[in-house]
Amino acid sequence: MIHMEGVSVVYPDGTRALSGVDLQVDRGEFCFIVGASGSGKSTLLQLLYRELVPTEGRVIIAGQDVAGLPRSRVPMLRRNVGVVFQDFRLLPDKNVWENVAFALDVVGASRREKFRKVPLALELVGLGEKESSLPNQLSGGERQRVSIARALVNNPSILLADEPTGNLDPDISWEIMQLLTNIAERGTTVLCATHDRIIVDGMRKRVVSLVGGTIVRDARGGGGYDEP
Amino acid sequence: MNLSMLEFLLQQAWQSIRRNGLMSLATSSNMTVALIILSSFFLATINLEHMADVEARKANITVDLTEDADPGKVEAALLGDQRVASTDYRTEDETLRDVAETLGLDYETLKTTLENPLPASIRVTPKNPQDVPAIAEAAENIEGVAKVKYRQQITEKLLTLARGIKIAGIVAAVLMGLATLLIVSTTIRLTIYARRREVRIMQLVGATDWFIRLPFILEGAFHGIMGGALSTVLVLASYSYTHMYVQQHLEFLALIYNTTFMVLFGLGTLLCGVLFGAAGSWIGLRTYLRHV
Repeated sequence: MIHMEGVSVVYPDGTRALSGVDLQVDRGEFCFIVGASGSGKSTLLQLLYRELVPTEGRVIIAGQDVAGLPRSRVPMLRRNVGVVFQDFRLLPDKNVWENVAFALDVVGASRREKFRKVPLALELVGLGEKESSLPNQLSGGERQRVSIARALVNNPSILLADEPTGNLDPDISWEIMQLLTNIAERGTTVLCATHDRIIVDGMRKRVVSLVGGTIVRDARGGGGYDEP
Repeated sequence: MNLSMLEFLLQQAWQSIRRNGLMSLATSSNMTVALIILSSFFLATINLEHMADVEARKANITVDLTEDADPGKVEAALLGDQRVASTDYRTEDETLRDVAETLGLDYETLKTTLENPLPASIRVTPKNPQDVPAIAEAAENIEGVAKVKYRQQITEKLLTLARGIKIAGIVAAVLMGLATLLIVSTTIRLTIYARRREVRIMQLVGATDWFIRLPFILEGAFHGIMGGALSTVLVLASYSYTHMYVQQHLEFLALIYNTTFMVLFGLGTLLCGVLFGAAGSWIGLRTYLRHV
């Protein structure tokens, strides 16, 4: 599903964010990207939703070279790659239902399609009851669930989560991780960038460790934050 | 594009206009002022051109005939010139009547008090007032022509004036147009800034650039419609008043005044507003959207 080969990213100011990254992630796989702040986790995810293009190397998603994608085709890629952030990025004046439907509105979905897909996505994240609440009436965990529902409502084959539990309590973080695992089990490839040691150690999933923009360890069979 | 997409786009545009109420009001007002200046200049230009044209058309050529001339032959020779629109043969008496009319004298008195010294003549109307001198020069060589007279200086002055006004109008239109574009693009840039969060999310969930741009372009067009409508009402009201005044006090000035002209003027102003609004948004978006 995801194939990175010899990928390097050098920012215009000369900072080298990634160097020589090779990574292969299969369909339905759950993979942690771990590392300290500034190790290149976010940069790696940004390559996958074409926020960045690599300076060197190739990034292939579902057989398509993302780096060579013309600007006009980027929206099509993004409909296939859901993204979730630490700060949720919800629209404060829209309720839960509208926030999720927003992702369908902008791709021109019909009313009928919205009424079919939004409840399914909200059901999946366990927020069926709260569809008319505004974001400020929700807890942090619930807000993150809304943002996950929005990322999933277009049925993407990849879900990228950039520090999804960064703003959440440990208990709530576990629930969110459980949700992401369920999503992966349904066939969506999930890449989760985090530096939450407890979560990673507890999940025993594949762990890719980045140090200074280089992959130093890839525990494919499942591992902890530090040890294989 | 389907119906729910259109509904979403219109909703986005309307929300943004409402949310930035004061800013929207300022932009529509700016657009109104710009369009008032633009359309007033247009009205002035087109009316002065019209007047110049009316005056220039009066500036025809008078060809005096010799006593033994064959008017038919001279007329035929004059009409042979491609630049001539029409000719009008005037007998000695008719020429006298014309002169009497021009000078404001009584023809009958004039005719009885003195022997008519005027020759028969042919009035030549040119197709294009600019050709007057050339036609006159050619007419001098026709057999049977005694003298050629025309009001060269007035014609040329009027035409020069009309040309000058036109150029000034175009320069003013371009400058005002640029200023309007700048105002609209700045407003739209501020609107995008206010909605950068929303735009960012739209980009992340796969909205196309066009889909992101359209609400802003609609917003710009909305300001254009508002400005266009308001300025049309204000300008046409003052134009009607001017027309009334001119009719009462300066009746020799020929202003264009009819329903078709007014309707076309209103539609033109609205269209200008919409185009300026949409183009201004487009410029604002082009320079800003990439950085959101």
